[in-house]
Amino acid sequence: MAELQTQNVKKQKPGLFKQNQLAIIVLVLLILFPFIMSLITGQPANEGKPKFWEGQFINFFIMAVYAMSYDLLMGYTGILSFGHAAFFGAGAYTMALWLTHFAPLISSQYKITLPGGMDITTTLLFIVALLLVLIVSILMGLFFSGASVRVKGVYFAMITLAIGEAFHILSKATDFVKWTGADEGLHGVPVPLWINPTQHRLRFYFMALFFMVVMYLFLKRVTESPTGRVFVAIRENENRVRMIGFNPATYRSLAFVTSAIAAGLSGAMFSLWNMSATPSMTSAVTTINALIMTILGGVGTLIGPILGAGLMQIFSQFFYQWFGARWPLVFGLIFIALVVFLPYGIVGTYRLRKQGMKAGWTRFTKQFSAKK
Amino acid sequence: MKNFSKSNKTLLIVFGLLLILGLFAYFTMGQTSFVRTSLSGLTIGALYFMVAAGLTLVFGLMDVLNFAHGTTFMIGAYMGWQFFTNPSFLFGVAPLLIAFLAGISANTLLQVYVTQWKIDESKREWIKRGLILMALVFGLIGVWGIDFLDLAETAMVAITFTTNPLSELSPQLPLAVFWYRPLLMLFSGALLAVAIAGPGDKTKTLHVDNAKRGWIVVAVLIVLTIVSVLVRESGPEAVLLMNADLRFVLSLLVGALIGAGFGAAMEASLIRPLYVRPMYQVLVTLGVAYVFKEVIQVLWEPLAYQMSRPPFFSQPGKADNLIAWFSTHNTTVDILGVTFPSYRLFIILLGILMLIGLAILMNFTRFGMIIRAGVQDRSMVEALGINVRRVFTLVFALGAGLAALGGIGAAPFIPVQPNMGDAFQLQGFIVVVIGGMGSYSGAAIGALLLGMARAFGDYLALKFSLSPAISEASTVIIMAIILIVKPSGLFGKKE
Amino acid sequence: MDNLMLNVSNIQTFIGQFHILEGVSLEVPKGAITVLLGRNGAGKTTTLKSILGLTPPREGIVEFKGNPIQGKRAYDVAAMGIGYVPEHRAIFSNLSVAENLKIAERKKGDLDKKADFIFELFPDLKRLYKLPGNHLSGGQQQMLAVARALVPDNDLLLIDEPSEGLAPILIQQMMEAIRSLSSKTTVLLVEQNFRMASQLAEYYYIIDDGKSVQHGKMADLVNDTETVHRYLGTAVGALGGKR
Repeated sequence: MAELQTQNVKKQKPGLFKQNQLAIIVLVLLILFPFIMSLITGQPANEGKPKFWEGQFINFFIMAVYAMSYDLLMGYTGILSFGHAAFFGAGAYTMALWLTHFAPLISSQYKITLPGGMDITTTLLFIVALLLVLIVSILMGLFFSGASVRVKGVYFAMITLAIGEAFHILSKATDFVKWTGADEGLHGVPVPLWINPTQHRLRFYFMALFFMVVMYLFLKRVTESPTGRVFVAIRENENRVRMIGFNPATYRSLAFVTSAIAAGLSGAMFSLWNMSATPSMTSAVTTINALIMTILGGVGTLIGPILGAGLMQIFSQFFYQWFGARWPLVFGLIFIALVVFLPYGIVGTYRLRKQGMKAGWTRFTKQFSAKK
Repeated sequence: MKNFSKSNKTLLIVFGLLLILGLFAYFTMGQTSFVRTSLSGLTIGALYFMVAAGLTLVFGLMDVLNFAHGTTFMIGAYMGWQFFTNPSFLFGVAPLLIAFLAGISANTLLQVYVTQWKIDESKREWIKRGLILMALVFGLIGVWGIDFLDLAETAMVAITFTTNPLSELSPQLPLAVFWYRPLLMLFSGALLAVAIAGPGDKTKTLHVDNAKRGWIVVAVLIVLTIVSVLVRESGPEAVLLMNADLRFVLSLLVGALIGAGFGAAMEASLIRPLYVRPMYQVLVTLGVAYVFKEVIQVLWEPLAYQMSRPPFFSQPGKADNLIAWFSTHNTTVDILGVTFPSYRLFIILLGILMLIGLAILMNFTRFGMIIRAGVQDRSMVEALGINVRRVFTLVFALGAGLAALGGIGAAPFIPVQPNMGDAFQLQGFIVVVIGGMGSYSGAAIGALLLGMARAFGDYLALKFSLSPAISEASTVIIMAIILIVKPSGLFGKKE
Repeated sequence: MDNLMLNVSNIQTFIGQFHILEGVSLEVPKGAITVLLGRNGAGKTTTLKSILGLTPPREGIVEFKGNPIQGKRAYDVAAMGIGYVPEHRAIFSNLSVAENLKIAERKKGDLDKKADFIFELFPDLKRLYKLPGNHLSGGQQQMLAVARALVPDNDLLLIDEPSEGLAPILIQQMMEAIRSLSSKTTVLLVEQNFRMASQLAEYYYIIDDGKSVQHGKMADLVNDTETVHRYLGTAVGALGGKR
């Protein structure tokens, strides 16, 4: 896998468009999607069928970011963490708690206006919320990576599981029922009107799409930067990284913090989208979902987890119709088969095949040139 | 003596700390609540130990983080409970499974012939796939049309020894329609065995000496198949009409054995091909946990069942002391002024027995010796000519069996439901981290520590009107502290 | 070639993505001591592990007593009669001396049969019999590691750096032991200590950069200072001791 990435990096850049042809086409399609849907169905882009499908896509965009954040940890840095839901949940709960309990309190007492008289209180408070999510995510990332200083590998995975589960238990503890709603979670979070996902579905659609694209570019940038290459080096051989003078612990924390930020933001988006934060967002199932999406799409590819998230969205939608309430059974069987037979996921396997085809081609052409 | 205190420094420190904390608690809490809390701590600790013992051995020897361990616990509970309450399901499925096993165990026998077949190398893979597909088809036809749900149907609170003991029994398919199914399964297994043996693959190592043993295994399994086909209807009745205490002991055994079989099957089929990719092993166990939780829900709905206690622990009233209890078998016993459920004492005893059993196994048998050596240096054990793969499978089976025994042991006092193992698995992980990988004694100490922490934590939480969730989450803090002091766990030696 | 115990031809071994052995060929004759020489990291230890199947070679042939053994699992290979003494005295430190020996049994009673022989070679072990492995000194551990390989009936012993980190007097004792065992079995030795190697071995192979580059009789090599200098570097300067 290492060769794959270095090859990608080494690829020459024949112009932005040509290099990313497919990606740009897909992006344009995604931007046009609501309007195409509304053309086909004859319903306005903010209602009916288009609205439903936009909803599906919004969910997909958010989960894609979440899956990518996991890929950064597992695929690139080689850290198997079972507490990833804690990041997601922390983002969701931070956003929801702030919007439910603190923001109304502040906005009822203070009004912040621009010189022109425009009321920007809710906007400002929303930005504060995003900042808070960032801070909480960074803290969570540092907290988790703190444990990895002394413990490694599968042993570490066990510890992340325990910490993650502790967060889950706390999120549904009855002690904080006044704040978190315990088992029920927080529902009907007062999302600022201008991004309310039910009223402004189309706007939210573009926001989520923008969010995914930005996070993808950001994470891609990270993985292709020198820092990102150290991540990969840690995955391949940590001792060697130490020998050439990098401190693996620092870089592991960096990976953790970056991943936590992405996961936390996606969690925050998720809570905005659902207008709720529930203990299920911090549960092991959420972690497992990240895992499944990443494995399904392809570990260490970033684009893979996006695909994985898309497939997962489709699976959960249709499997329920096909197999009834016990659809996870089918899903689990598929997951096992994937792990055993397709360990590099869809994208990874495709790249390996492509590599194989390429190698075959060069061998083929070499034969001819040698004969001359 | 000096040597002892030196080599057991950690142990002494831990017990010293526990003693100090215990004394402190004793004087602040008063005798009654102290005894009650300690006893429930011991109960919880015993259960944790049953889960953690298997985890730690499996992890120590093979570096496999088994996420399906909690599921094994749950499966043990379900199977034991089924045997105790309505054995029709187990008796109905047994012939099929045993027949399939008989087929598959022909593997070592067939290898000698199959590998000699003259098959073109390019076709080998296809033949293998074809065989597997055929096996699958045969297997599917073999089970097609059996109403497993009907076999499994059981009341949520089934009382099996007062009124009509046979009330839960489900009808079995008559022999005239059933007989071909085990045959098909046998066939399916044999086809699979051929596929595994590697047709035409001459590079495989042949174990000719094993052939004789292989014949015996296959013969025994086939005889067992025939027997289990014949007792499908009379068996469950006989079990239900049996003395309930004896039935309970048997269901402990059945639960543990099925758990062990589950573990062995999982290791041999899914874990083994992945030893080169450890991360994927973890994922596979995760998938297995996921799938089997769903399978259980398909069979028994996502409900919480209650298993009744055997009469040995359920005579009404309270025994005045432990000695009196042995003749009265009451539900509760008076221990130092505390009314305590007698069944929980049995759990503590079960945990202690398991510890003793493990200690004997690990210290006085060749198998235990190999495990201890393997925890330290797997490849060296292999280099000595010991078949590590078989050891791996056996250890996996042992670990799973212990967890399943824990599950069926716990079943009479916690609800039997699909996610009953999850919390135990989590705490089991923490115990393993605390105790150190691969050390069963470490697991015992860790379980004791954690059990006590939970019990006293619950007590404190109650006192300060907090929820028990707080004390559950706080066990993580104990883990964190111990990891800071000793990153390899209290008794872990492996880096 | 009836008198060959082991025939290794052109094995290629990878560890992860690293190509460690790029063509090692050896012929180990029956009943003699053959030594593998070479610099640190040349691939000597990997050669032993590849023979045994601990790091299975991707290509090449390994024949033991005329039977191909490449691609077989290490425990199958070992059970055919190959004993392995790994470097760094890898004994099981949490097992007692007795258990360390007992675990090597392939048939019940192996140890009882060989006990006298082993205690004759290493009298210390008799005294330490009940002690746990981690209470032993370095030299004692090394002796235990060799003794462990003697418990079953092995036709070939692969011994990896028996003198590593031992005091001179213990090296002497170890040499005596290996010499006296070579009368019963064939030995393939990896040794950095050139003096010890030259006194013990009858044949030598030099491994450099993952390839076997030269072989012959030890007696010839001792006089060939140029070769020794080229492939073994400083070992010639420190002919007396461990480098």
